[in-house]
Amino acid sequence: MAIIETKELTKHYILGRKKIVVGLEKVNLEINQGEIFGILGPNGSGKTTCLKLLLGILFPTSGEAYIMGRPPHDIEMKQHVGFLPENPYYYDYLTGPELLWFYAGLFGLDIDTAKKRIEYLLELVELHTAKRLHLRHYSKGMLERIGLAASLINDPEILILDEPTTGLDPIGCRDTRNLLLKLKEQGKTILLSSHFLSEVERVCDRIAIFHRGYLLATGTLDGLNKQYQAENLEDLFVKTICKFDNQQNVTTGETT
Amino acid sequence: MKRMWLVGLNTFRESIRKKTLYIILIFALIVIGASKLFSFLTAEEELKMIKDVSFSAIEFFGALIAIFGALYAVSAEIERRTIYTLLTKPIRRSDFVIGKFFGVSMIIFVNFVLAAAFFIGLLIFKKSPPDIQVFKTLLLIFFELILIGSITLALSTFTSDAFNIICSFFLYIVGHLTSYGKELIERMENIVMKGLTDMLYTLVPNYENFNIRDKIVVGLDVSWSYVGWTVLYGILYMCIALYIALYFFEKREV
Ligand SMILES: Nc1ncnc2c1ncn2[C@@H]1O[C@H](COP(=O)(O)OP(=O)(O)OP(=O)(O)O)[C@@H](O)[C@H]1O
Ligand SMILES: [Mg+2]
Repeated sequence: MAIIETKELTKHYILGRKKIVVGLEKVNLEINQGEIFGILGPNGSGKTTCLKLLLGILFPTSGEAYIMGRPPHDIEMKQHVGFLPENPYYYDYLTGPELLWFYAGLFGLDIDTAKKRIEYLLELVELHTAKRLHLRHYSKGMLERIGLAASLINDPEILILDEPTTGLDPIGCRDTRNLLLKLKEQGKTILLSSHFLSEVERVCDRIAIFHRGYLLATGTLDGLNKQYQAENLEDLFVKTICKFDNQQNVTTGETT
Repeated sequence: MKRMWLVGLNTFRESIRKKTLYIILIFALIVIGASKLFSFLTAEEELKMIKDVSFSAIEFFGALIAIFGALYAVSAEIERRTIYTLLTKPIRRSDFVIGKFFGVSMIIFVNFVLAAAFFIGLLIFKKSPPDIQVFKTLLLIFFELILIGSITLALSTFTSDAFNIICSFFLYIVGHLTSYGKELIERMENIVMKGLTDMLYTLVPNYENFNIRDKIVVGLDVSWSYVGWTVLYGILYMCIALYIALYFFEKREV
Protein backbone atom coordinates (compact mmCIF):
# COMPACT_ATOMS: atom_id res chain seq x y z
CA MET A 1 0.00 0.00 0.00
CA ALA A 2 1.28 3.44 -0.88
CA ILE A 3 1.97 5.59 2.16
CA ILE A 4 1.94 8.81 0.12
CA GLU A 5 -0.42 9.05 -2.80
CA THR A 6 -1.70 11.67 -5.20
CA LYS A 7 -4.58 11.21 -7.60
CA GLU A 8 -4.79 13.49 -10.62
CA LEU A 9 -3.39 16.21 -8.40
CA THR A 10 -3.65 19.57 -10.15
CA LYS A 11 -2.76 23.08 -9.12
CA HIS A 12 -3.38 26.15 -11.25
CA TYR A 13 -2.23 29.44 -9.79
CA ILE A 14 -4.61 32.20 -10.64
CA LEU A 15 -2.90 35.51 -11.26
CA GLY A 16 -5.48 38.10 -12.02
CA ARG A 17 -8.26 37.55 -14.49
CA LYS A 18 -7.57 35.02 -17.21
CA LYS A 19 -3.92 34.60 -16.31
CA ILE A 20 -3.30 31.11 -15.06
CA VAL A 21 0.02 29.48 -14.26
CA VAL A 22 0.14 25.71 -14.23
CA GLY A 23 1.85 24.56 -11.07
CA LEU A 24 0.96 20.90 -11.31
CA GLU A 25 -1.10 19.00 -13.87
CA LYS A 26 -2.86 15.70 -13.13
CA VAL A 27 -0.06 14.08 -11.21
CA ASN A 28 -0.43 10.51 -9.98
CA LEU A 29 2.27 9.48 -7.54
CA GLU A 30 2.60 6.52 -5.24
CA ILE A 31 5.33 6.34 -2.66
CA ASN A 32 5.79 3.18 -0.68
CA GLN A 33 6.59 2.70 2.96
CA GLY A 34 10.30 2.61 3.67
CA GLU A 35 11.65 3.99 0.43
CA ILE A 36 13.55 7.13 -0.42
CA PHE A 37 11.78 8.83 -3.26
CA GLY A 38 13.34 11.71 -5.17
CA ILE A 39 11.52 14.34 -7.19
CA LEU A 40 13.62 15.90 -9.93
CA GLY A 41 12.83 18.60 -12.43
CA PRO A 42 13.97 21.93 -13.82
CA ASN A 43 13.24 25.17 -11.96
CA GLY A 44 9.55 25.89 -11.87
CA SER A 45 8.54 22.36 -12.74
CA GLY A 46 6.20 21.96 -9.79
CA LYS A 47 8.27 20.10 -7.20
CA THR A 48 7.62 22.53 -4.39
CA THR A 49 4.00 22.88 -5.44
CA CYS A 50 3.54 19.14 -5.13
CA LEU A 51 5.04 18.97 -1.65
CA LYS A 52 3.03 21.95 -0.44
CA LEU A 53 -0.18 20.41 -1.71
CA LEU A 54 0.57 17.20 0.16
CA LEU A 55 0.94 19.14 3.39
CA GLY A 56 -2.06 21.40 3.02
CA ILE A 57 -0.11 24.64 2.64
CA LEU A 58 -1.75 25.03 -0.77
CA PHE A 59 -5.16 23.78 -1.80
CA PRO A 60 -5.47 21.72 -5.00
CA THR A 61 -7.45 22.99 -7.97
CA SER A 62 -8.57 19.41 -8.46
CA GLY A 63 -7.47 15.94 -7.54
CA GLU A 64 -6.57 14.42 -4.22
CA ALA A 65 -3.56 13.87 -2.03
CA TYR A 66 -3.13 11.44 0.85
CA ILE A 67 -0.46 10.74 3.40
CA MET A 68 -1.03 7.54 5.37
CA GLY A 69 -4.44 7.48 3.78
CA ARG A 70 -5.37 10.83 5.30
CA PRO A 71 -6.04 14.17 3.59
CA PRO A 72 -3.59 17.11 3.84
CA HIS A 73 -5.41 18.99 6.59
CA ASP A 74 -5.50 16.03 8.96
CA ILE A 75 -3.92 16.83 12.32
CA GLU A 76 -3.37 13.22 13.34
CA MET A 77 -1.38 12.57 10.16
CA LYS A 78 0.85 15.59 10.76
CA GLN A 79 1.89 14.13 14.07
CA HIS A 80 3.93 11.59 12.07
CA VAL A 81 5.34 13.85 9.38
CA GLY A 82 8.44 16.02 9.31
CA PHE A 83 8.84 18.80 6.75
CA LEU A 84 11.77 20.92 5.63
CA PRO A 85 10.71 23.76 3.31
CA GLU A 86 13.02 25.06 0.61
CA ASN A 87 15.27 27.92 1.78
CA PRO A 88 13.94 27.55 5.30
CA TYR A 89 13.62 30.71 7.25
CA TYR A 90 12.80 30.80 10.90
CA TYR A 91 11.98 33.21 13.67
CA ASP A 92 14.79 35.75 13.65
CA TYR A 93 14.78 36.33 17.35
CA LEU A 94 14.92 32.77 18.61
CA THR A 95 17.98 30.65 19.23
CA GLY A 96 18.29 27.18 17.70
CA PRO A 97 17.27 25.34 20.87
CA GLU A 98 14.34 27.70 21.44
CA LEU A 99 13.07 26.98 17.95
CA LEU A 100 13.25 23.26 18.58
CA TRP A 101 11.49 23.66 21.93
CA PHE A 102 8.71 25.55 20.26
CA TYR A 103 8.13 22.82 17.68
CA ALA A 104 8.49 20.09 20.29
CA GLY A 105 5.67 21.80 22.17
CA LEU A 106 3.47 21.86 19.11
CA PHE A 107 3.96 18.13 18.75
CA GLY A 108 3.06 17.72 22.39
CA LEU A 109 6.33 16.06 23.37
CA ASP A 110 6.84 15.80 27.12
CA ILE A 111 9.71 17.75 28.61
CA ASP A 112 12.13 14.86 29.14
CA THR A 113 11.67 13.43 25.68
CA ALA A 114 11.97 16.88 24.14
CA LYS A 115 15.13 17.67 26.05
CA LYS A 116 16.86 14.47 24.98
CA ARG A 117 15.67 14.83 21.43
CA ILE A 118 16.87 18.43 21.16
CA GLU A 119 20.31 17.61 22.56
CA TYR A 120 20.59 14.72 20.15
CA LEU A 121 19.47 16.71 17.12
CA LEU A 122 21.75 19.65 17.83
CA GLU A 123 24.68 17.25 17.99
CA LEU A 124 23.49 15.57 14.85
CA VAL A 125 23.44 18.72 12.75
CA GLU A 126 26.50 20.07 14.53
CA LEU A 127 24.91 23.19 15.89
CA HIS A 128 25.52 22.43 19.55
CA THR A 129 28.29 25.03 19.55
CA ALA A 130 25.93 27.79 18.43
CA LYS A 131 23.28 27.36 21.10
CA ARG A 132 22.99 31.00 22.08
CA LEU A 133 23.08 32.51 18.65
CA HIS A 134 19.87 34.06 17.35
CA LEU A 135 18.70 32.57 14.08
CA ARG A 136 19.07 35.92 12.34
CA HIS A 137 22.82 35.55 12.72
CA TYR A 138 22.85 32.07 11.20
CA SER A 139 24.47 31.43 7.85
CA LYS A 140 22.48 29.89 5.02
CA GLY A 141 23.85 26.41 5.63
CA MET A 142 23.25 26.71 9.37
CA LEU A 143 19.60 27.56 8.69
CA GLU A 144 19.35 24.52 6.46
CA ARG A 145 20.82 22.42 9.28
CA ILE A 146 18.53 23.75 11.98
CA GLY A 147 15.64 23.20 9.55
CA LEU A 148 16.65 19.59 9.17
CA ALA A 149 16.83 19.21 12.94
CA ALA A 150 13.42 20.85 13.28
CA SER A 151 11.92 18.48 10.74
CA LEU A 152 13.14 15.52 12.80
CA ILE A 153 11.94 16.76 16.18
CA ASN A 154 8.97 14.37 16.34
CA ASP A 155 10.96 11.37 15.08
CA PRO A 156 8.68 11.29 12.04
CA GLU A 157 7.62 8.21 10.13
CA ILE A 158 7.53 10.26 6.96
CA LEU A 159 10.04 12.91 6.10
CA ILE A 160 9.36 15.43 3.36
CA LEU A 161 12.38 17.51 2.36
CA ASP A 162 12.40 20.27 -0.23
CA GLU A 163 15.98 20.58 -1.48
CA PRO A 164 17.63 19.47 1.76
CA THR A 165 21.22 19.90 0.61
CA THR A 166 20.99 23.29 -1.09
CA GLY A 167 23.39 25.61 0.69
CA LEU A 168 25.24 22.88 2.55
CA ASP A 169 28.99 22.45 2.29
CA PRO A 170 30.35 19.15 0.89
CA ILE A 171 30.71 17.66 4.33
CA GLY A 172 27.21 18.74 5.24
CA CYS A 173 25.93 17.10 2.06
CA ARG A 174 27.67 13.88 2.85
CA ASP A 175 26.38 13.88 6.42
CA THR A 176 22.85 14.53 5.25
CA ARG A 177 23.12 11.70 2.77
CA ASN A 178 24.32 9.32 5.46
CA LEU A 179 21.57 10.51 7.77
CA LEU A 180 18.92 9.82 5.18
CA LEU A 181 20.27 6.32 4.61
CA LYS A 182 20.31 5.70 8.34
CA LEU A 183 16.71 6.87 8.66
CA LYS A 184 15.75 4.55 5.84
CA GLU A 185 17.30 1.67 7.73
CA GLN A 186 15.01 2.56 10.61
CA GLY A 187 12.08 2.08 8.27
CA LYS A 188 11.23 5.73 7.63
CA THR A 189 9.81 6.92 4.36
CA ILE A 190 11.53 9.90 2.76
CA LEU A 191 10.25 12.11 -0.04
CA LEU A 192 12.71 14.71 -1.23
CA SER A 193 13.19 17.10 -4.09
CA SER A 194 16.64 17.96 -5.32
CA HIS A 195 18.74 19.42 -8.10
CA PHE A 196 21.80 17.39 -7.18
CA LEU A 197 21.64 14.42 -9.48
CA SER A 198 24.61 12.66 -7.97
CA GLU A 199 23.01 12.87 -4.54
CA VAL A 200 19.77 11.50 -5.84
CA GLU A 201 21.57 8.73 -7.66
CA ARG A 202 23.21 7.64 -4.45
CA VAL A 203 20.28 7.69 -2.05
CA CYS A 204 17.00 7.34 -3.90
CA ASP A 205 15.25 4.05 -4.50
CA ARG A 206 12.87 5.54 -6.99
CA ILE A 207 12.59 8.89 -8.70
CA ALA A 208 10.06 11.03 -10.52
CA ILE A 209 10.85 13.65 -13.12
CA PHE A 210 8.61 16.70 -13.27
CA HIS A 211 8.49 19.26 -16.03
CA ARG A 212 6.13 22.20 -16.48
CA GLY A 213 3.83 20.66 -13.92
CA TYR A 214 3.63 17.27 -15.61
CA LEU A 215 4.98 14.05 -14.22
CA LEU A 216 7.08 12.73 -17.10
CA ALA A 217 8.58 9.58 -15.72
CA THR A 218 8.65 7.59 -12.55
CA GLY A 219 10.41 4.42 -11.51
CA THR A 220 13.72 2.99 -10.34
CA LEU A 221 16.87 4.48 -11.79
CA ASP A 222 17.86 1.30 -13.61
CA GLY A 223 14.39 0.79 -14.96
CA LEU A 224 14.17 4.31 -16.30
CA ASN A 225 17.65 4.25 -17.76
CA LYS A 226 16.72 1.14 -19.71
CA GLN A 227 13.39 2.55 -20.79
CA TYR A 228 14.90 5.74 -22.13
CA GLN A 229 18.19 4.21 -23.21
CA ALA A 230 20.07 6.60 -21.02
CA GLU A 231 23.56 6.13 -19.65
CA ASN A 232 23.14 7.88 -16.34
CA LEU A 233 20.75 10.12 -14.47
CA GLU A 234 21.90 13.30 -16.18
CA ASP A 235 21.40 11.75 -19.56
CA LEU A 236 18.00 10.45 -18.49
CA PHE A 237 16.99 13.85 -17.16
CA VAL A 238 17.90 15.64 -20.38
CA LYS A 239 16.33 12.98 -22.60
CA THR A 240 12.95 12.92 -20.87
CA ILE A 241 12.72 16.66 -20.85
CA CYS A 242 13.78 17.12 -24.47
CA LYS A 243 11.37 14.42 -25.56
CA PHE A 244 8.51 16.17 -23.80
CA ASP A 245 9.42 19.58 -25.22
CA ASN A 246 9.64 18.15 -28.73
CA GLN A 247 6.25 16.53 -28.41
CA GLN A 248 4.81 19.77 -27.14
CA ASN A 249 6.28 21.63 -30.08
CA VAL A 250 4.84 19.08 -32.50
CA THR A 251 1.37 19.33 -31.03
CA THR A 252 1.37 23.09 -30.84
CA GLY A 253 2.86 23.18 -34.34
CA GLU A 254 -0.04 21.13 -35.64
CA THR A 255 -2.71 23.25 -34.09
CA THR A 256 -1.43 26.57 -35.34
CA MET B 1 -5.43 24.80 23.82
CA LYS B 2 -1.78 24.31 24.68
CA ARG B 3 -0.83 24.85 21.05
CA MET B 4 -2.64 28.17 20.90
CA TRP B 5 -0.71 29.27 23.97
CA LEU B 6 2.56 28.27 22.40
CA VAL B 7 1.81 30.26 19.27
CA GLY B 8 0.77 33.21 21.41
CA LEU B 9 3.82 33.04 23.64
CA ASN B 10 6.08 32.80 20.64
CA THR B 11 4.50 35.92 19.15
CA PHE B 12 4.88 37.75 22.42
CA ARG B 13 8.48 36.67 22.87
CA GLU B 14 9.38 37.86 19.39
CA SER B 15 7.82 41.26 19.97
CA ILE B 16 9.78 41.67 23.20
CA ARG B 17 13.06 40.77 21.59
CA LYS B 18 12.40 42.82 18.52
CA LYS B 19 12.15 45.97 20.64
CA THR B 20 10.44 48.14 18.01
CA LEU B 21 7.30 48.43 20.10
CA TYR B 22 9.40 49.64 23.03
CA ILE B 23 10.05 52.83 21.15
CA ILE B 24 6.36 53.57 21.06
CA LEU B 25 6.10 52.75 24.75
CA ILE B 26 9.00 55.05 25.55
CA PHE B 27 7.25 57.85 23.69
CA ALA B 28 4.14 57.24 25.76
CA LEU B 29 6.15 57.41 28.97
CA ILE B 30 7.86 60.61 27.88
CA VAL B 31 4.54 62.27 27.15
CA ILE B 32 3.09 61.13 30.47
CA GLY B 33 6.19 62.33 32.27
CA ALA B 34 6.13 65.66 30.47
CA SER B 35 2.55 66.34 31.55
CA LYS B 36 3.74 67.30 34.99
CA LEU B 37 6.02 70.04 33.68
CA PHE B 38 3.18 72.53 33.66
CA SER B 39 4.10 73.73 37.11
CA PHE B 40 2.68 77.23 36.59
CA LEU B 41 -0.79 75.79 36.99
CA THR B 42 -2.53 75.48 40.32
CA ALA B 43 -2.21 72.08 41.96
CA GLU B 44 -5.76 71.12 40.98
CA GLU B 45 -5.37 72.18 37.37
CA GLU B 46 -2.06 70.43 37.18
CA LEU B 47 -3.64 67.18 38.30
CA LYS B 48 -6.34 67.53 35.64
CA MET B 49 -3.66 68.16 33.09
CA ILE B 50 -1.70 65.09 34.10
CA LYS B 51 -4.77 62.90 33.90
CA ASP B 52 -5.95 64.29 30.61
CA VAL B 53 -2.59 64.01 28.89
CA SER B 54 -1.81 60.61 30.37
CA PHE B 55 -5.11 59.01 29.44
CA SER B 56 -4.77 60.33 25.91
CA ALA B 57 -1.17 59.15 25.65
CA ILE B 58 -1.97 55.68 26.97
CA GLU B 59 -4.83 55.40 24.52
CA PHE B 60 -3.07 56.80 21.46
CA PHE B 61 0.28 55.06 21.86
CA GLY B 62 -1.53 51.92 22.96
CA ALA B 63 -3.47 52.02 19.70
CA LEU B 64 -0.21 52.28 17.77
CA ILE B 65 1.18 49.29 19.62
CA ALA B 66 -2.03 47.32 19.04
CA ILE B 67 -2.07 48.06 15.32
CA PHE B 68 1.61 47.41 14.66
CA GLY B 69 1.73 44.42 17.00
CA ALA B 70 -1.25 42.76 15.32
CA LEU B 71 -0.01 43.63 11.87
CA TYR B 72 3.36 42.08 12.54
CA ALA B 73 1.91 38.99 14.19
CA VAL B 74 0.37 37.46 11.08
CA SER B 75 2.01 39.16 8.12
CA ALA B 76 5.58 38.61 9.28
CA GLU B 77 4.85 34.94 9.68
CA ILE B 78 3.68 34.79 6.07
CA GLU B 79 6.32 37.11 4.67
CA ARG B 80 9.19 35.26 6.29
CA ARG B 81 7.58 31.96 5.35
CA THR B 82 7.82 30.66 8.90
CA ILE B 83 4.19 29.76 8.43
CA TYR B 84 5.10 26.93 6.06
CA THR B 85 6.77 25.03 8.82
CA LEU B 86 4.21 26.03 11.39
CA LEU B 87 1.18 24.81 9.46
CA THR B 88 2.79 21.45 8.75
CA LYS B 89 2.88 20.81 12.48
CA PRO B 90 -0.19 19.24 14.08
CA ILE B 91 -1.91 22.57 14.50
CA ARG B 92 -5.23 23.74 13.12
CA ARG B 93 -5.48 26.98 11.28
CA SER B 94 -7.93 28.15 13.91
CA ASP B 95 -5.34 27.39 16.62
CA PHE B 96 -2.97 29.64 14.74
CA VAL B 97 -5.40 32.56 14.52
CA ILE B 98 -6.53 32.34 18.13
CA GLY B 99 -2.95 31.85 19.25
CA LYS B 100 -2.02 35.03 17.42
CA PHE B 101 -4.89 36.80 19.15
CA PHE B 102 -3.53 35.66 22.53
CA GLY B 103 -0.09 36.86 21.54
CA VAL B 104 -1.28 40.28 20.42
CA SER B 105 -3.40 40.64 23.57
CA MET B 106 -0.35 39.85 25.67
CA ILE B 107 1.69 42.48 23.84
CA ILE B 108 -1.04 45.07 24.35
CA PHE B 109 -1.54 44.09 27.98
CA VAL B 110 2.11 44.32 29.00
CA ASN B 111 2.68 47.66 27.29
CA PHE B 112 -0.56 48.99 28.71
CA VAL B 113 0.31 47.90 32.25
CA LEU B 114 3.73 49.53 32.04
CA ALA B 115 2.31 52.84 30.85
CA ALA B 116 -0.57 52.75 33.32
CA ALA B 117 1.76 51.90 36.21
CA PHE B 118 3.94 54.86 35.32
CA PHE B 119 0.90 57.12 35.26
CA ILE B 120 -0.41 55.84 38.59
CA GLY B 121 3.05 56.23 40.07
CA LEU B 122 2.99 59.83 38.94
CA LEU B 123 -0.39 60.41 40.58
CA ILE B 124 0.85 58.93 43.84
CA PHE B 125 3.95 61.06 43.63
CA LYS B 126 1.66 64.08 43.29
CA LYS B 127 -0.08 62.95 46.50
CA SER B 128 -3.33 62.22 44.72
CA PRO B 129 -3.67 58.42 44.61
CA PRO B 130 -5.98 57.28 41.81
CA ASP B 131 -9.64 56.76 42.64
CA ILE B 132 -11.95 54.16 41.18
CA GLN B 133 -12.94 56.48 38.33
CA VAL B 134 -9.36 56.48 37.06
CA PHE B 135 -9.40 52.70 37.00
CA LYS B 136 -12.69 52.67 35.11
CA THR B 137 -11.15 54.91 32.47
CA LEU B 138 -8.10 52.68 32.20
CA LEU B 139 -10.22 49.54 32.00
CA LEU B 140 -12.18 50.91 29.06
CA ILE B 141 -9.02 52.08 27.33
CA PHE B 142 -7.62 48.57 27.68
CA PHE B 143 -10.67 46.98 26.07
CA GLU B 144 -10.56 49.54 23.28
CA LEU B 145 -6.94 48.58 22.59
CA ILE B 146 -7.78 44.87 22.49
CA LEU B 147 -10.57 45.64 20.05
CA ILE B 148 -8.25 47.70 17.84
CA GLY B 149 -5.75 44.84 17.87
CA SER B 150 -8.31 42.20 16.92
CA ILE B 151 -9.61 44.31 14.04
CA THR B 152 -6.11 44.72 12.61
CA LEU B 153 -5.55 41.01 13.12
CA ALA B 154 -8.74 40.21 11.22
CA LEU B 155 -7.73 42.52 8.38
CA SER B 156 -4.29 40.95 8.17
CA THR B 157 -5.78 37.58 7.26
CA PHE B 158 -6.96 38.83 3.90
CA THR B 159 -5.35 42.17 2.98
CA SER B 160 -1.91 43.54 2.33
CA ASP B 161 0.02 45.37 5.03
CA ALA B 162 -0.37 48.76 3.39
CA PHE B 163 -4.11 48.45 3.03
CA ASN B 164 -4.37 47.08 6.53
CA ILE B 165 -2.56 50.05 8.08
CA ILE B 166 -4.67 52.53 6.15
CA CYS B 167 -7.85 50.71 7.06
CA SER B 168 -6.94 50.35 10.73
CA PHE B 169 -6.11 54.03 11.11
CA PHE B 170 -9.17 55.04 9.15
CA LEU B 171 -11.36 53.00 11.49
CA TYR B 172 -9.49 54.41 14.47
CA ILE B 173 -10.25 57.95 13.40
CA VAL B 174 -13.79 57.37 12.19
CA GLY B 175 -14.53 55.25 15.25
CA HIS B 176 -13.70 58.26 17.39
CA LEU B 177 -15.77 60.69 15.36
CA THR B 178 -19.00 58.78 15.79
CA SER B 179 -20.74 61.52 17.74
CA TYR B 180 -20.09 63.96 14.90
CA GLY B 181 -21.21 61.28 12.51
CA LYS B 182 -24.51 60.97 14.26
CA GLU B 183 -25.11 64.69 14.07
CA LEU B 184 -24.27 64.64 10.40
CA ILE B 185 -26.71 61.82 9.73
CA GLU B 186 -29.49 63.62 11.55
CA ARG B 187 -29.10 66.59 9.23
CA MET B 188 -29.20 64.55 6.05
CA GLU B 189 -32.20 64.93 3.80
CA ASN B 190 -31.79 62.21 1.24
CA ILE B 191 -33.40 59.10 2.77
CA VAL B 192 -31.22 56.61 0.89
CA MET B 193 -28.01 58.38 1.81
CA LYS B 194 -29.23 58.66 5.34
CA GLY B 195 -29.97 54.95 5.51
CA LEU B 196 -26.60 54.04 4.07
CA THR B 197 -24.56 56.25 6.34
CA ASP B 198 -26.65 55.11 9.26
CA MET B 199 -25.75 51.54 8.48
CA LEU B 200 -22.09 52.41 8.06
CA TYR B 201 -22.22 54.19 11.37
CA THR B 202 -23.49 51.08 13.13
CA LEU B 203 -20.91 48.85 11.44
CA VAL B 204 -17.88 50.94 12.30
CA PRO B 205 -16.48 50.10 15.72
CA ASN B 206 -17.57 52.86 18.02
CA TYR B 207 -14.30 53.58 19.82
CA GLU B 208 -15.75 56.75 21.27
CA ASN B 209 -17.88 54.58 23.56
CA PHE B 210 -14.72 53.67 25.40
CA ASN B 211 -13.78 57.28 25.93
CA ILE B 212 -14.95 58.44 29.34
CA ARG B 213 -11.85 60.41 30.19
CA ASP B 214 -13.33 63.81 29.39
CA LYS B 215 -15.93 63.23 32.08
CA ILE B 216 -13.57 61.67 34.59
CA VAL B 217 -11.02 64.43 34.26
CA VAL B 218 -13.53 67.13 35.17
CA GLY B 219 -14.68 65.09 38.16
CA LEU B 220 -17.89 63.55 36.82
CA ASP B 221 -18.75 59.92 37.62
CA VAL B 222 -19.44 57.18 35.15
CA SER B 223 -21.62 54.32 36.32
CA TRP B 224 -20.44 50.73 36.51
CA SER B 225 -23.33 49.68 34.32
CA TYR B 226 -22.06 51.93 31.53
CA VAL B 227 -18.59 50.44 31.93
CA GLY B 228 -20.04 46.92 31.93
CA TRP B 229 -22.11 47.44 28.78
CA THR B 230 -19.21 49.01 26.97
CA VAL B 231 -16.91 46.14 27.85
CA LEU B 232 -19.57 43.76 26.61
CA TYR B 233 -19.83 45.74 23.38
CA GLY B 234 -16.06 45.47 22.99
CA ILE B 235 -16.03 41.73 23.56
CA LEU B 236 -18.90 41.18 21.15
CA TYR B 237 -17.22 43.21 18.43
CA MET B 238 -13.94 41.43 19.10
CA CYS B 239 -15.64 38.06 18.66
CA ILE B 240 -16.98 39.18 15.30
CA ALA B 241 -13.50 40.29 14.25
CA LEU B 242 -12.04 36.95 15.35
CA TYR B 243 -14.73 35.09 13.47
CA ILE B 244 -13.86 37.01 10.31
CA ALA B 245 -10.17 36.23 10.85
CA LEU B 246 -10.91 32.52 11.26
CA TYR B 247 -13.11 32.47 8.20
CA PHE B 248 -10.57 34.07 5.90
CA PHE B 249 -7.51 32.34 7.25
CA GLU B 250 -9.08 28.91 6.87
CA LYS B 251 -9.18 29.46 3.12
CA ARG B 252 -5.96 31.35 2.69
CA GLU B 253 -3.11 29.91 0.68
CA VAL B 254 0.05 31.07 2.35
N1 LIG C 1 2.38 31.46 -5.33
C1 LIG C 1 2.49 31.32 -6.64
N2 LIG C 1 1.78 32.11 -7.48
C2 LIG C 1 1.86 31.95 -8.82
N3 LIG C 1 2.62 31.04 -9.42
C3 LIG C 1 3.36 30.23 -8.67
C4 LIG C 1 3.33 30.33 -7.24
N4 LIG C 1 4.16 29.39 -6.74
C5 LIG C 1 4.68 28.75 -7.80
N5 LIG C 1 4.19 29.24 -8.96
C6 LIG C 1 4.51 28.76 -10.32
O1 LIG C 1 4.30 27.37 -10.36
C7 LIG C 1 5.30 26.74 -11.10
C8 LIG C 1 5.94 25.65 -10.26
O2 LIG C 1 6.63 26.23 -9.19
P1 LIG C 1 7.39 25.39 -8.06
O3 LIG C 1 7.79 26.32 -7.00
O4 LIG C 1 6.55 24.24 -7.67
O5 LIG C 1 8.68 24.90 -8.87
P2 LIG C 1 9.91 24.03 -8.36
O6 LIG C 1 9.91 22.79 -9.16
O7 LIG C 1 9.88 23.87 -6.90
O8 LIG C 1 11.13 24.93 -8.81
P3 LIG C 1 12.57 25.15 -8.13
O9 LIG C 1 13.44 24.05 -8.59
O10 LIG C 1 13.04 26.45 -8.70
O11 LIG C 1 12.39 25.18 -6.66
C9 LIG C 1 6.25 27.83 -11.55
O12 LIG C 1 5.95 28.16 -12.88
C10 LIG C 1 5.95 28.99 -10.65
O13 LIG C 1 6.11 30.20 -11.34
MG1 LIG D 1 11.12 24.38 -5.39
